[in-house]
Amino acid sequence: MDLSAVGAAAAEALTLASFIGIGGGVLLGYVVGVIPGLSRSVAISIAIPMTFYMSPYIAISFLIGLSKGTAAGSAVSAILLNAPGEASSAATALDGYPMAKAGKPKTALQIGLIASVIGDILATIILIFVAIPFARVALMFGPYEMAAILAFALVFIAGLSGGNIFKGLAAGGLGIFLGTIGLDNQTGLPRLTFGYTELMDGMPLIAVAIGTLALSEMFVQSEKLRYDRANMSVQLKNDPNDHVTMPILRRIMPTILRGTGVGTFVGALPGLGPSVGSFMSYGMAQRAAKDPSTFGKGEPKGIAASESADNAVIPAALIPLFGLGIPGNVSAALLIGAFAIHGITVGPLLLRDNPELLYSIFAGMILASIIMLALGWFGLMVFAQITKVPPHVVIPIVIFFCLAGMMLQGYGTFGLVILIAFAVLGYLMKKYDYSFVTFLVAFIITPMLELNLRQSIILSRGNWEILLNRPIALFFIACTALALVMLILRTVRTGKPAANAPAD
Amino acid sequence: MNRRALIAAAAAFGTLVAAPAALADEWRPTQPMTMVIGFAPGGSTDIQGRVLARTLEEYFGQPVNVVNQPGGGGAVALTRFLNAEPDGHTFMFGVMLGLTFSPIVSPVEYEIDDFRYAGTLVGGQFGVIAAGDAPYQSFEELIAYGKENPMTYAQQLPMDQAIMQRIAEQEGLDLAFVPTGGGGGVAPLLLGGEVDFAFSGGIHSQYVPTGDMNILAFFTRDRSPFYPDVPTLVELGYPYAMDDFRSFFLPGGTPDEIVQAFENAARFAVEHEPFVQVTVENTQHPIVFMDGAETEAAIREIRAANEALMAD
Repeated sequence: MDLSAVGAAAAEALTLASFIGIGGGVLLGYVVGVIPGLSRSVAISIAIPMTFYMSPYIAISFLIGLSKGTAAGSAVSAILLNAPGEASSAATALDGYPMAKAGKPKTALQIGLIASVIGDILATIILIFVAIPFARVALMFGPYEMAAILAFALVFIAGLSGGNIFKGLAAGGLGIFLGTIGLDNQTGLPRLTFGYTELMDGMPLIAVAIGTLALSEMFVQSEKLRYDRANMSVQLKNDPNDHVTMPILRRIMPTILRGTGVGTFVGALPGLGPSVGSFMSYGMAQRAAKDPSTFGKGEPKGIAASESADNAVIPAALIPLFGLGIPGNVSAALLIGAFAIHGITVGPLLLRDNPELLYSIFAGMILASIIMLALGWFGLMVFAQITKVPPHVVIPIVIFFCLAGMMLQGYGTFGLVILIAFAVLGYLMKKYDYSFVTFLVAFIITPMLELNLRQSIILSRGNWEILLNRPIALFFIACTALALVMLILRTVRTGKPAANAPAD
Repeated sequence: MNRRALIAAAAAFGTLVAAPAALADEWRPTQPMTMVIGFAPGGSTDIQGRVLARTLEEYFGQPVNVVNQPGGGGAVALTRFLNAEPDGHTFMFGVMLGLTFSPIVSPVEYEIDDFRYAGTLVGGQFGVIAAGDAPYQSFEELIAYGKENPMTYAQQLPMDQAIMQRIAEQEGLDLAFVPTGGGGGVAPLLLGGEVDFAFSGGIHSQYVPTGDMNILAFFTRDRSPFYPDVPTLVELGYPYAMDDFRSFFLPGGTPDEIVQAFENAARFAVEHEPFVQVTVENTQHPIVFMDGAETEAAIREIRAANEALMAD
């Protein structure tokens, strides 16, 4: 590492302009994250023109700060409203919402924030020291390995769902089915689009995610408003014990570290994305717990696992971007465009041609994490007041943001119809105890699994023996088989699901 | 490659077609304009489009908002564009593929006749790429290698697959076609050594300078100004070409004077420094100017060639 470049980078990171730029990015991201319906990718694409007038370093740090802010902010609505701002915080709601309802909303928010910030900083440090020298490790994960990992993620995360295993299969099957809609990857021919041009790129992910996660929850709460008013919303009491304590911190710290590891691994592999990371981490925390039955009922470890992994994915997705020029997820792909507008080509050339800029961005990312902690700590005091607003005011506002967020996607009225359809589907799934988590994860994973599986079969020319030279793929295939067997065994033995997370 | 040389090449393209400056009495917009881009933010079309929007603000004196409507390789945006007002305030910075290719493989609601074409600004860069450390450094060596070994090719569009399939049949190669699901998917497959060679829609611009990739041939009819030593497939003796250009599309029924104004705006843009720089240096696409009539003729010609290619 070039020390003079590092010194210059640190100096640039600590100017007033960079504080304002990065702080603004984190704040904007945090607010977008809190509001269900507005998503990270929309926020970045809207913010890119704003960066025209900034220096390249501030522009990029602003956008990365914005990404980080959304990941931290989305925990707030997941915990307080059970309506996650991003799909990747859906796992946070599983324990965050019950904890908030049990009278500890501030504790839940603080755990979420601390897990976010630690996951973020550790993953950023890993990025700085690992990005360039070790980025090529990601290339060891070819189609065979990715297909095996995706299959494992599908089975493992499906195992989290509650209720009847057949209901789980039905929910997962529907997700897989909807995930196959769109243009065929190879022939370019439309599949199941029924003549709608809008479906050529598949069911819009945002519509599915906002519909089943946030909008359907508003339907559920509207119903409670009518029939079960006393027991519906989170109450903010002035409870002096409602804050995070050292014993809690000590208890959740191993979970946060594990979550960071999972998030970094998932983020560094191009394509997997934060939702897979947060659910994987949640599942692993549950398996590792002495008493898994506390999960889904307000377990602090559940929040910590999900949020630490969710945030760790954001910097980790930049490992393949800076090292190889390959974006780890959609937000990272948007960053390529932002770099290019500023006349910078991202990738291995960046370190050679522009090391000062790269180190400045790293410094800016650390700064963003610190600003996020301060802003978040203040922000959760403010946002906790949401719980004092009566639900008949909150529900229409959230519904408005969901619809507005969909309109921003540019799908027009078609998008709104799809959104409402998925909200109704999500409502029915919650009502009849079908796991919408299994559904959503199956929907997100299916297109990637299909492509990688197809690539593997074509590349191997149908020859199974090729897997013998692929130990990583074999390992994950074995894990998948094991997870499947355990799931079936536990279901048969107890007549109950393997895991205890409730479906809602 | 020398950056100055690139700029010079681009400037040469520009001056070849240099036209008189905008006429004082031509059509002018009266309200903010909307530029539709049929691809997601972050891609090369989007990057060029966003800088172009600022160039046009300078030319027309009105703000230009960029709206991304991704999907189906531009088909979603074109379908939506059918309903746009033909008053010049809504226009598309479009890629021809949505007109020259999508209608052949999937049912779409629009046709070439449904729009007007005001001028072309940027040329496509479809190429054949291989890893930098591959045992072949040219297309001839690739074919020679393929005659001895089974090979894999990462495709992106059914069209480049069709061309490669014919070349493989002609040369007697044992070639398997791997789908990539879009531009970003090629790089990991090629850098990871999973496939032998691949289609590039422009991604080579990032990796050829580092030596990670080699560009072996171009699908385009003309050689690339950035790689004057790399031959086209036609020059190598395979009668197949695949071209694409980025142009201004206007709604059908747009009056001639507005089309003319956009043609002049295109002339202005291809010589406007920021736009030329982002196009040539950052996204490594050549500046290619064609007027409205030439653009429409090119679309029809490419469409016919693609139909012939995909016919069997």
